Amino acid sequence: MSGRSFSYATEAFEFIEGLENLVTPQDVINAVEKSFGIFGFENFIITGLPNPRESFEQVVLLKKWPVGWFNIYAKEDYVRVDPIIRLCRTTVQPFEWSEAPYDRASEPQAAEVMDRATDFRMKEGFCLPIHGIQGYEACFSMSGAHLDLSPQKKPALHLMAMYAFERARQLLKPSPYNGSGLLTPREREALTWAAAGKSAADTGEILGITERTVTAHIASACQKLEAANKTQAVARALQFKLIGL
Amino acid sequence: MTQVHIITHDNEHLHRDKLEQYFRLRHEIFVKERGWLDLKRPDAREVDSYDNKNTIYLLAIDQDRIVGGQRLYPTLLPHMISEVFAPMAERGIPSARHIFEWTRYLVVKERRMGRTDCRLLAALQQFCLEEGVTEVTAVVEMWWLPRWQQAGFKVRPLGLPSMIEGQACIAASIQISQDSLDHVRRLAGLRGSCLVRDPRISPILDRIPHVAA
Repeated sequence: MSGRSFSYATEAFEFIEGLENLVTPQDVINAVEKSFGIFGFENFIITGLPNPRESFEQVVLLKKWPVGWFNIYAKEDYVRVDPIIRLCRTTVQPFEWSEAPYDRASEPQAAEVMDRATDFRMKEGFCLPIHGIQGYEACFSMSGAHLDLSPQKKPALHLMAMYAFERARQLLKPSPYNGSGLLTPREREALTWAAAGKSAADTGEILGITERTVTAHIASACQKLEAANKTQAVARALQFKLIGL
Repeated sequence: MTQVHIITHDNEHLHRDKLEQYFRLRHEIFVKERGWLDLKRPDAREVDSYDNKNTIYLLAIDQDRIVGGQRLYPTLLPHMISEVFAPMAERGIPSARHIFEWTRYLVVKERRMGRTDCRLLAALQQFCLEEGVTEVTAVVEMWWLPRWQQAGFKVRPLGLPSMIEGQACIAASIQISQDSLDHVRRLAGLRGSCLVRDPRISPILDRIPHVAA
């Protein structure tokens, strides 16, 4: 192993151990700013991915973004068309912004987000998607005007970003997150089996509870999702990504 | 109702069919679904040299059907991190009587949205706490890290991530603790133990062959 990559490893492990001692969200922002600056990053955001009923501002955990850009991004609701956010939802691998596909001709809004970001020196970037337990989705996206992301640096960056995300999550406890907080685990389980074509009786057998209890979970899920019946509840739960197939 | 059963050398003669199911599921998931072709075998059973009389299996079983599984192996013996993944543990390979390696974790496809993951994670913490295991080591795909952390696991990286079969993976050590067990149970709304005890199984720390230091 070369001396060069060794120094990034040391930096990464020291950064991770240092996170333990941080007490406030601002401490995390300062630590990330300092350590990620070494890689050329100037701005970053750690945010949950909003479901259709949440706004962007509601799900942001930590940010060091130019104020002007944050205001534009929120006002234009760019989170719905941002190709970086879109790729985050479908991959677990970290990626460079330039790897997030969009079509300039048919997706002018996607092009607009990427273009306007460069007005704020956010030309190049690196993004780490987070797919947590029980449907929690988030990302850590960072950018700079001149990045130098050699293959030796990326593993250190990947690891540091994951631990920084976790520390931010612990300190801010994003709860109740709508994805997992809206429905209880039992309600999600009952809907998942309904989506798989199982009756309440079948589901009761699978989960080891009575049919009546299953029906009660479904009824409660219908109420929370403002659904008229089980079919609509399943459709909404899939749409909001509260359950999967 | 899904419960996690412990299978060791002491009781495997009673659970051959369960182990066979687990081996076939490993082939199904790791070879066919994930594409780890090095593990491919003509009989469609994924079995390796760490499946032997020292292995402990924790299998999630629902009405005779395996829905998830994982295995533990003593780190005092040559194990996967020491023999295969040593370069991934540049900060040192934890190895002691009370440290086990945790491998071949799986959940069947249709149970990945439910609580089976949490049940398996809780069973791991509970089993280790009861047996006096203080730490487990594992090689895991990086995207699993936040899932463990959200489940309340305390994870220390043993090195930087490296690419295995196109996926960034890391060698890590997980501290066993009552806090982590409580956390994952709370997260999934699991009340009480989901581990089925078999009196035939002798304490695992007593079973480890003594190896000269």
